[in-house]
Amino acid sequence: MGRPFDRDGDRVKVRLDAEERRLLARLLDEVAELLDDGRPASTDPLAALVGFDLTLPEDAAPAGEPAAQDEEQDPALARLLPPAHHDDPELAAEFRRLTETGLRARKRGNLTLASAALQRGGQVVLSREEGSALLKGLTDTRLVLGERLGLRTDEDADLIQEVLRQRPQADDPWVSAALLYDVLTWWQEALIAALMS
Amino acid sequence: MSVAGVELSLAPVEVEKPEAAEDLGLDVPWVTIVWNDPVNLMSYVTYVFQTYFGYPKAHAEKLMLDVHHKGRAVVASGSREEMERDTEAMHEYGLWATFQKQ
Repeated sequence: MGRPFDRDGDRVKVRLDAEERRLLARLLDEVAELLDDGRPASTDPLAALVGFDLTLPEDAAPAGEPAAQDEEQDPALARLLPPAHHDDPELAAEFRRLTETGLRARKRGNLTLASAALQRGGQVVLSREEGSALLKGLTDTRLVLGERLGLRTDEDADLIQEVLRQRPQADDPWVSAALLYDVLTWWQEALIAALMS
Repeated sequence: MSVAGVELSLAPVEVEKPEAAEDLGLDVPWVTIVWNDPVNLMSYVTYVFQTYFGYPKAHAEKLMLDVHHKGRAVVASGSREEMERDTEAMHEYGLWATFQKQ
């Protein structure tokens, strides 16, 4: 596989094939949907996509999290919209009240902008703004998937690499989600390299 | 010591203290902190610090390494309003940031 992204002057040429672009666009759309206020936070569109059972084990719930977390029952959503104060839940809740709607809207704007760009026909060339939106969108998508995979520490992230090196059966939902995460990580590294070159 | 009936003293002159600036929350900087997480790439965190804060690459990389190795780093300081703005911007980039009084 060649480089997925190439810098072209002020823009970024997308070298992903049509199927990869469709997959990526769909993932971005799913995360945008997850961020939609009108949707119950407990439903998870990514589950259907990766066939990953999102029913979290009881012990996966973080203990002793600040009260502000209560507003976000879904830990992946909480990861996209984290508390803004470390040990003052009241301040974090106030901040959330003031900023959450705007933050959700801007994240969804980035995700849909990037998704639409990827679905343009022919050779896709991203403007600076679209490239930056895609980079943020890839981050949000990896945050959701990472949460579903149970990544809590840097060691957990290393473990993914180790498991995948052993070429496990891809029909295991966790493994297919991990493979997807790994591909997204590679694409994001490549996009950063293209944007910074 | 007394000269011509005037009491002189080397003791510090008692001046009524003006209301301390910190009581008004003026001079005490707030800070924005970015926390380590297992998902965000080192290259991406550096990119965000360079792009959003306009930090030179070396400084952005140093802050990124602090986040990675120490678990967190103070990435900006200023007024509460500025730190709230920076925290919100970090969240838009998908970084886990908080703000607090220094």
